[in-house]
Amino acid sequence: MVKLSQEVKLKLERLQLFKHISILIDTCRGKGSSPNGYEVLFEVRESRPVTGGINTLIGNNDASLLFGIKFPNIYGRGERLQADYTHGTKQVRGYNVSFTKPINANPDVLFGCGLYQYNGEYPWSGYKELDRGILFDLTFPSFIGTHSLKWEGVWRDLRALSRTTSFAVREQAGHSIKSSLKHIYVRDGRDDPILPSTGTLLRVTQEYAGIGGSVEFAKQDVELQYNQSLLWDTVLQFSGAFGIMRSLNTKNDIKINDRFFLGGPLTLRGFNLKGVGPHSDGNALGADAYWLCAAHIYTPLPFRPGKGGLGDLFRTHFFVNAGNLGNISLNNNLRENFWRMAETFRWAYGGGIVLRMGSIARMELNYVIPVQLQRGDSVNPGLQFGIGLSFL
Amino acid sequence: MSSLVAEAVQAELGAYEPWPDNACLYQPYQVEQITFPDYANCLSVKTFLHMCGLEFHTEVRTNAEEMSPSGKVPFIHVGAFLVSELDPIIAFVNTRGFQLSRDLDEGMKSEMRAYMALIENVMVNAELYLAWIDEAVSEEITKPRYGYIHPWPLNRLLPWQKQSNVRARLNSVGWAKKTMDEVCDEVKTCCQALAERLDSKQYFFGDKPTELDALVFGHLYTILTTRLPVSRFAEIVQQFSNLTAFCTRVEENFYKKYGRDF
Repeated sequence: MVKLSQEVKLKLERLQLFKHISILIDTCRGKGSSPNGYEVLFEVRESRPVTGGINTLIGNNDASLLFGIKFPNIYGRGERLQADYTHGTKQVRGYNVSFTKPINANPDVLFGCGLYQYNGEYPWSGYKELDRGILFDLTFPSFIGTHSLKWEGVWRDLRALSRTTSFAVREQAGHSIKSSLKHIYVRDGRDDPILPSTGTLLRVTQEYAGIGGSVEFAKQDVELQYNQSLLWDTVLQFSGAFGIMRSLNTKNDIKINDRFFLGGPLTLRGFNLKGVGPHSDGNALGADAYWLCAAHIYTPLPFRPGKGGLGDLFRTHFFVNAGNLGNISLNNNLRENFWRMAETFRWAYGGGIVLRMGSIARMELNYVIPVQLQRGDSVNPGLQFGIGLSFL
Repeated sequence: MSSLVAEAVQAELGAYEPWPDNACLYQPYQVEQITFPDYANCLSVKTFLHMCGLEFHTEVRTNAEEMSPSGKVPFIHVGAFLVSELDPIIAFVNTRGFQLSRDLDEGMKSEMRAYMALIENVMVNAELYLAWIDEAVSEEITKPRYGYIHPWPLNRLLPWQKQSNVRARLNSVGWAKKTMDEVCDEVKTCCQALAERLDSKQYFFGDKPTELDALVFGHLYTILTTRLPVSRFAEIVQQFSNLTAFCTRVEENFYKKYGRDF
């Protein structure tokens, strides 16, 4: 019974409805109570019905203010409504309204829907884009991992960023509607999402666009990570990722805003952000296939300053990473394409310091030596600094 | 500001290069997509380039409007330069040493500028009014064409968005609230002025074409040949026989003679 009440407490905690939950177990004393009955009392303190916040965000070339408001339990069954509005120095950056509801009060099965508008600039490719979208998703666990099914309909207005934008990018300006169904499967057995010491991660994403709308493609993306602890808190990490996509309409090529990009201080180190692969006048064009793999050795800081405190947020690491980004030609057979992607790869090695920022982001300062590159790549040898949510 | 300087520098740099063989004019699809005010603008630019004797080829793109640096069609791609709309194109072509109005004296040049401004202020607004404000034309012709290439719901949203932009533009110059009769009066006055200037000459300033001829041809020819539920503009232009003769003349001299398409 104690175990059961503990489970209930855990479940309530995961629904994030209460600030504080305590359990009181006593024998039953009331009238008509059975002689060996127990009374279980949950004492809870509810979190506030409305919370809000104002944050400042600093981006690549401007700052913005984010206003957010959150109703953690709007209808009393764990439904959460969240609204954000971001105002940049130059223009309204976007807004986002999302609603999630646990199904049958199960914190693992979630239904969500949202509405958003986002004004993004992509200077590495020389374009900007205004997205207006609507989405529905359903997240549920299975015995092999967590699944998430998502439908998204988004109206995208792509424009050249400046007069110097490459014509190859400018040609793709215009409106498009993407209506896509996405399946994300995650199996995460690691002990920490940012600096794990053991466990594996597998993330598989499939996207099918073309249920109505003007964009038709199928996209497949796989990410794998394996961690092994060694002696003296040293961790060996292998990670790999690959993605491939193809247009389902022979008349239309895949547009730049759907393609894969590669390179950057947290992915393929030693190259500038999206600096690998086809470029035109300095604008990254992206491609429809990529692969990337990396091996890291993480160790605590030398002589372990600040052990048990601040020092645990840092690691030193040595790494080797290799990858390639290219287009799959339908004229060649699978084997030729495969060999072309394998032959023209890029690789770099180096070492540096990793800082963990909360449980979602990380910061790296590395010294990198790119060894093999291809013509047109934008390389960053020497010191490289990166901060971000996604890394490999 | 910096972009203005960059533009000036670009135009300056462009002056020393010859006209390349691969000059390209971008416009929307003519049969299914283009709206007739845009068609008039494209025709003016093409006629101007033909009058200069410059070679180019026309590329049709469904997203020509979004590709254009100013958001308006047509635009030309010459070497590394992108120039959109007639006036900047005239200025750009001038830097390459082609100037139709070279032989005119200063007085004539400013007169030509005045007539060009008249077209911009009357004909262009009148065309926008007919295409987007007039109920019958906008619902039956303009909006379906403008949204033609897009899937639902963009084929509704984008024409509606464009219509409100055009309405705002016309409102700022006091045209949105005009009635059809008032607009027709404006067109008639404009044609009257043009017909008097043209008189019985070959072109507006003698026997050589100028920028004004290209602009007038683009607009009048479009009005005369586009079939719309409301044909009042065409009827007005047809009252001026020298203007219709002028259109036939330009068509003959710069298109039919060379077997060119529009």
